[in-house]
Amino acid sequence: MFCEKAIELVRELHRMGDGQLPAFNEDGIRQVLEEMKALYQQNQSDVNEAKSEGRSELIPTIKFRHCCLCRNQRCIAAYLYDRLLRIRALRWEYGSVLPTAIRFHMCAEEVEWFNQYKKSLATYMRSLGGEEGLDITQDVKPPKSLYIEVRCLKDHGEFEIDDGTVILLKKNSQHFLPRWKCEQLIRQGVLEHVIS
Amino acid sequence: MDPSEVEFLAEKEMVTIIPNFSLDKIYLIGGDLGPFNPGLPVDVPVWLALNLKQRQKCRIVPPDWMDVGKLEEIKELESKEETFAPIPSPYYMELTKMLLNHASDNIPKADEIRTLVKDIWDTRVAKLRLSADSFISQLEAHAKLDNLTLMEINTTRTFLLDSLNCMYKLRTNLQPGSDKSNDY
Amino acid sequence: METQSYTPVPPGVGMEENFLSLDDILLSHERLPCRTESAFPRLGFLEKSADTRDIPEGTKMEMPLWLAKGLYERKRRTLSVDPPKTYRQGWRTVLGADPNVVDLHKMGPYFYGMGSQLLHFDSPENAEIAQTVLQTFIGRFRRTMDASQNALDADTSALVAPLDALERALFRAGQAGLAAYQRWEGGASGRIEASGLVVNYRKRKLGELQA
Repeated sequence: MFCEKAIELVRELHRMGDGQLPAFNEDGIRQVLEEMKALYQQNQSDVNEAKSEGRSELIPTIKFRHCCLCRNQRCIAAYLYDRLLRIRALRWEYGSVLPTAIRFHMCAEEVEWFNQYKKSLATYMRSLGGEEGLDITQDVKPPKSLYIEVRCLKDHGEFEIDDGTVILLKKNSQHFLPRWKCEQLIRQGVLEHVIS
Repeated sequence: MDPSEVEFLAEKEMVTIIPNFSLDKIYLIGGDLGPFNPGLPVDVPVWLALNLKQRQKCRIVPPDWMDVGKLEEIKELESKEETFAPIPSPYYMELTKMLLNHASDNIPKADEIRTLVKDIWDTRVAKLRLSADSFISQLEAHAKLDNLTLMEINTTRTFLLDSLNCMYKLRTNLQPGSDKSNDY
Repeated sequence: METQSYTPVPPGVGMEENFLSLDDILLSHERLPCRTESAFPRLGFLEKSADTRDIPEGTKMEMPLWLAKGLYERKRRTLSVDPPKTYRQGWRTVLGADPNVVDLHKMGPYFYGMGSQLLHFDSPENAEIAQTVLQTFIGRFRRTMDASQNALDADTSALVAPLDALERALFRAGQAGLAAYQRWEGGASGRIEASGLVVNYRKRKLGELQA
């Protein structure tokens, strides 16, 4: 049956229901597009034949192929769109710099889209709250205190806090730091929020 | 909503404290607070009360209803009534948790209070489930949610709304002629 | 913690599909017993059993829902669709007697979705199908809800197994609400957590290394 490749693309994303971004399936997309091209060409020649020779019995077949074209189109659109939703989520989960492994899973257009999204978000955040702007990716939950206790889960190197002090984030070391400085590192899994 | 956001709202509730320091009235966007005089009761929002308490600057006076006798009455009423009984504070659960966690030394019989409030919560949540089921099974279109608190609604909101949406869609199926066909 | 920033396009539920919903695309991939009411020239290769050039009129074949929906027309018949047996009289009686004994996952897994979609095709049984689908949902609602309120550390696999895709989604919504509350009750609600994406990503990488 037609459209089997296209449904594979959709299944691939559906299996990863938690929002992980699998590698962009360039080959899969190419195969679907090839099938679409073939369907379109067959339909075009059948349409011509139906018109010039009055062979109206071809109409059901033409319609059949047309449905397959639309189906392929729908699957690809849904595949690309769902990936964009996942990529947008990355900005909120990882911050503006993505780990290389994840960037490798994106196609060139997706990287471009991610950069544009980053820019729009940054422009919007700069426009908020007066001169300094407002980072709306911070404090997603109401903060209870300005400083929090954190433990390093891995070596992260030197880290500068507001007053210019540089501290060394070494695995298993524990620190008392401004909440807004560590929130992103916690979400990235570098630090762990310790609640006493 | 995340429960921590509900708790954040609860922190705006007023509670009486007895400070052990002096401070003139302070003027904040949310309203004026104080003046604070040692030994004189004053009303402040819970967030401030907890902060002062943590720094040992005050004693917290538990709200009237945070009392074993009163809570027992409420529990009794709650298990008798079929509908949700009126509750003394729209944030009873959040306040109980916050005050007991940070100021249990100021609250007599803290452990009993904790258990009683938990019992009341459990009774009410069981009722909520029961009424959700009868709501669905009788194909009701609206329900009265009197006396439910935000935290109670919040735990079941997504589930209930999604369920009602499904029911609505499946009900719409019964009306022929509503066929809006889309050929994908 | 669940990843909140990624929310997939929800399924349409009912007669209308959601164009970009992955769930609805998979639902419409489910096959239906059909009969061609006109010939489809030059498509014979799609039918494994026949080695003719065309699909002749009157061929019984299974077609995915999306194709049946696309080809189906009330005025000019090219296709007729039979309700699958799970929606016919026999099963309707079983579901009417006690909807809770049936494993809708095995029968579906898109029992409600497919039941609603079938109404796009004319059939004298449509009214009863719609009624059965609705009553089945209502009859099983209590169980879906109770299952979702089960302790989070309990093994729910046996409870979840017989649920259809829609019920599973509701189950997850219920569990998420309960989990959030219990985290708050346990005092962990204000804690900033590593993103679910990061955690799962690391798990996957570890799995690949071990494999």
